[in-house]
Amino acid sequence: MPGMRRFTFVSCVALAAICLSLHAQNLPLPLKPDSVRFAVIGDMGTGDKPQYEVAEQMIKDRLKFPFEFVIALGDDLYGGSDPSDYEDKFERPYKVLLDAGVKFYAVLGNHDSPNERFYRSFNMNGQKYYTYKKGNVRFFALDSNYMDPQQLSWLEKELRSSGSDWKICYFHHTLYSSGAFHGSATELRLLLEPLFVKYGVEVVFAGHEHVYERVKPQKGIYYFTEGASGSLRRGNLKKTNLTAAGNDQDRSFMLVEIAGDELYFQTILRTGRTVDSGVIPRLAKITDATPWPTLPAGHGGLPGRTVR
Amino acid sequence: MKQRIRATRLFLWLSLAFVAPGIAGQARAPKDSEEVRDLKTFADRVQAYVKMQKDLEASLSTLKPTKDAGQIVEHQHALARKIVDARRNARQGDIFTHEVTERFRKIIHRAFDGPEGRLVRRTIQPDTPSKVIVLGVNDVFPEGVPVTTMPPTLLLKLPELPQELAYRIVGHDLTLIDTKARLIVDLIPNAIR
Repeated sequence: MPGMRRFTFVSCVALAAICLSLHAQNLPLPLKPDSVRFAVIGDMGTGDKPQYEVAEQMIKDRLKFPFEFVIALGDDLYGGSDPSDYEDKFERPYKVLLDAGVKFYAVLGNHDSPNERFYRSFNMNGQKYYTYKKGNVRFFALDSNYMDPQQLSWLEKELRSSGSDWKICYFHHTLYSSGAFHGSATELRLLLEPLFVKYGVEVVFAGHEHVYERVKPQKGIYYFTEGASGSLRRGNLKKTNLTAAGNDQDRSFMLVEIAGDELYFQTILRTGRTVDSGVIPRLAKITDATPWPTLPAGHGGLPGRTVR
Repeated sequence: MKQRIRATRLFLWLSLAFVAPGIAGQARAPKDSEEVRDLKTFADRVQAYVKMQKDLEASLSTLKPTKDAGQIVEHQHALARKIVDARRNARQGDIFTHEVTERFRKIIHRAFDGPEGRLVRRTIQPDTPSKVIVLGVNDVFPEGVPVTTMPPTLLLKLPELPQELAYRIVGHDLTLIDTKARLIVDLIPNAIR
């Protein structure tokens, strides 16, 4: 009988070790104390099954990586904004997260009604563009559908007065993209990039193009496109010299952790498979030729998918 | 004294509307008196519309951020009904008068034909709906149709609008849209060549 107990104990320890090992492989985020943890979704509001599957994977991963909030990169509700749209394309898929107190901070995409800014669960407080702070990170949520002089002045003023360690901007249209459908929003880039460079924005998230792409640093700024959390344009990512990593084969979302001077990210498909991960140092002097820093061994590295 | 304050406010508003957008180093060319007059006409009519919209909205329950999506939609529809009723005789050209339309056409053509014209065209191209949408004054902007991104360098050149209104390109037309009621307030047909 004692032999049996010992066998059970050893089995449990072995199982726990395997789980921990798998955990480490599946979740290359360090979970440091007091870090800022969030998820990133974009172009998600289809109300179709894949959106729900992405949401389910987010819920599963939150058990391992308890992110506090989600940034939503626009096209939050496709096809209209009747009460049933809010319900089917937002409230139901993310119900578990909403019930757990996870906050969503949305921006408007080109498929969104501007009146979505009054929907409290999007936390826009009636504004088309806004800013908020989490820990040592200042977020700037912009309306790239309508970048008028008022918004540009507001952005410059807010960036200038931001004393935060990290400055992260997000909006719908991607300034750098290898996507075949829309490509880079070069006109918008003419106006935004000089401000980002001048005021030390480190990271930019955008959607619009229905793929995932991590772009090589441009003028020291890291650009991510996450526009595949509901919609997908399979095969739409055409490798260019911008592409550091990408995925155009399935729906995805990102998990991000900011701890001190490091930003860790992980991009996960609805199946749970990680397709990209890495760490970004803050205020590093990066040139376009600088290779991507990789995570230490056992932390997943930067697998990325080789795009055509 | 009140008149003086009003005049100062009007001056500030006009300055904000037409002069301030010198951001990004895009200084505006000096305006001749006719241009100033035409743009003032536009600013006055915009101001009058916004005042009317605000007065009508004041008769509705205030829309504050809410978790009740039905409340947002109902507010939009109720406001639209009131505006359409108040502007039942509104016609194309009420705000974009003939002279204002000509000014706008020049500004738009300069933006589309200028050094950044290629980028401006590219901005509006991908989102242009393949199905032709014809909109008129007091029509509701159709739900579910993606909006065409407004070229940001064009927005630097057009008179600024208060937040209650926005410019939108629909097909080849430049429309003035009420951002809360989602109504077409006025339009310039075939503004985009």
